[in-house]
Amino acid sequence: MMNPILTFLVVLIGLYGLSTSKNIIKSVFCVTITEAGVILLFLNLGNFEGGSVPIFLEGLAEIVDPLPQALMITTIVIGSTVTALALMLCIKIFHHFGTVEWEEVLRDRGDL
Amino acid sequence: MVFVPVLLIFIPIVCGVFIYLIKHPWIYYLSLLGQLVVTVLAIFYYQEFSGQYSETFIVFGLWDERIGISLRNDALSMSFVFLSIFMWWMVLLYTMYAKEREYNFLFFLLFLEGVFLGLMQSNDLFNMFVFLELITLLVTILIAFIKTGESFRAALYYLLLNTSGVLAFLLGIILLYNTFGSINLEVIKSQMHLVYDEQVLIKFAFVLMLGGISVKTALFPVFTWLPRAHGVAHSGISALLSGLIVKGGLYMFLRITSIFEGADFAYHNFFFLIGFLTAFIGVIFALSQKDIKQILAYHTVSQVGIMMMGLSHVDEKVAFGGLLHIFHHAFFKSLLFLAAGIIVAQYGTKKVAKLRGVFKTMPILSMFMIVGMLSITGAPFFNGFISKSVIKYGIEGDIRYWLLYLVNIGTATSFLKMSQIFFGDRQLDIAKQHVIHYIPLLVLSLVCIMFGLFYIPISDGFFGIDLSYVSLFKVSGFINYGITLGAGFLLYFLIVKKDPIFIKKLRAFNLSFDKANYLFVVFLVLMTMYFVI
Repeated sequence: MMNPILTFLVVLIGLYGLSTSKNIIKSVFCVTITEAGVILLFLNLGNFEGGSVPIFLEGLAEIVDPLPQALMITTIVIGSTVTALALMLCIKIFHHFGTVEWEEVLRDRGDL
Repeated sequence: MVFVPVLLIFIPIVCGVFIYLIKHPWIYYLSLLGQLVVTVLAIFYYQEFSGQYSETFIVFGLWDERIGISLRNDALSMSFVFLSIFMWWMVLLYTMYAKEREYNFLFFLLFLEGVFLGLMQSNDLFNMFVFLELITLLVTILIAFIKTGESFRAALYYLLLNTSGVLAFLLGIILLYNTFGSINLEVIKSQMHLVYDEQVLIKFAFVLMLGGISVKTALFPVFTWLPRAHGVAHSGISALLSGLIVKGGLYMFLRITSIFEGADFAYHNFFFLIGFLTAFIGVIFALSQKDIKQILAYHTVSQVGIMMMGLSHVDEKVAFGGLLHIFHHAFFKSLLFLAAGIIVAQYGTKKVAKLRGVFKTMPILSMFMIVGMLSITGAPFFNGFISKSVIKYGIEGDIRYWLLYLVNIGTATSFLKMSQIFFGDRQLDIAKQHVIHYIPLLVLSLVCIMFGLFYIPISDGFFGIDLSYVSLFKVSGFINYGITLGAGFLLYFLIVKKDPIFIKKLRAFNLSFDKANYLFVVFLVLMTMYFVI
């Protein structure tokens, strides 16, 4: 079983990547990493050593908490949607600006 | 009747799906029909339950109430439901004969309505997370719908920054679930005072949840997505985003702080300070902008700050002023955005310097816009005056009073600058406008004046709060407004009009995404240091 501290570290790695990466694609990946860390952390909290899957084959004893698993399925679905939409926007941005570097994309301000 | 909240969520979504599938010119009216049904249902629901909100609790699928999906309404959520329905009426009528009249656009717009109504009525934390994330996705699509490069980058900026905020919110939910074994707001609220030995975890959850909400609300260090997004979208969408969707964050703030009541965190001063910084920085940036929609977008930041200053106060009366300002701001800011949208469409430019002679070109529209400007600067007899006075009464004789005064002077200056568009000669012959375009503007102006005149019966009828201590005819109100305008006048002619170097620098301010995220992390760390340690 993974340590909750380790999974929290994944979240921190994602946040670090978000606040340092200058490339749009990398930012999208970092959001995914943060999300993966959050999901792992939640699954970890409902889990314990030797617990079985929450499917009622042999009664209720010794199963892990099913609620985090149910919730995290939803989160994974939402996460994949966010990634898909973000990557679609990346393609559009590349077509319009010819680059996927944040600074070059945001530099030209038509409203000045 | 108990299951009306479910219908409120699903009727707009189902209408949107039919519009998307059928794509016939007549199917457009289905959106209005669905909207009518939603309005009638909400009114009947309100009449049946307005006295006894304890019976509005619904759990789906016969689950235990501690873990099931549940909906619940009270006076606060019902008022937001009515506000949302009203705003969607305005935007649907506005987009009826505009270029935006496309089936895909309507589908996303109606989907957003259902999701937003869901967020208002939801009673469990995970549902809130799902609705928040759905709102982020739909708003991203609506911002990008104009299909220019600027809108795509604004949409991506919005999507990624808000997703990281919502993830922080989810992390907070996880910590709460770990402690309480429940995701139901009511259950957590009732057990909050029992926690002793896991205080640190609870505090950390509080920090993460409010940090995530701050991104959605565009509070001080993490507001940079808002002007980008609201400045480039369609005018109807800008009105909806500024008028309503940012208020979703403030609603969450009220809900989340209410579940932490038992733990008794001293968050009031911190959020007052954050609110003031938001209001002040927003107004400073608004002064430096030259683009009419950017100015309005930065004013949304600043007004959200004022609402936060009100809502974060310990005294319930002042907090009610903040709540009232949410509603009033929704009316006048969407009025300003819709009017600005028509002006921009006619003139073909967004630059304030090039827009001249609007009053002679479009006199009726200018009247509506002047109503909006008077309301936002807080003139007596308009609704902005009422909510700002309610906030002011509670903090009179305090340094906070003068901070609010400072923000008001900045707002007045900025709108004096914007009012320059009315002067000058007629510049162009306008294209014929469909009369239905003006209906939302007319209704919003009337509502602004109505809430400014009949505030006592309105607040008494809906919230049961007596506002009769706010007098319209006190001399001090007029004097205060005069001083504010005068100071704004001086500030405008002495400093802002000459466009000094620091204003140019402010205008060129451009925060990259990684820096914005860095600020978000710094904000979370600061909050952790303030609350946990």
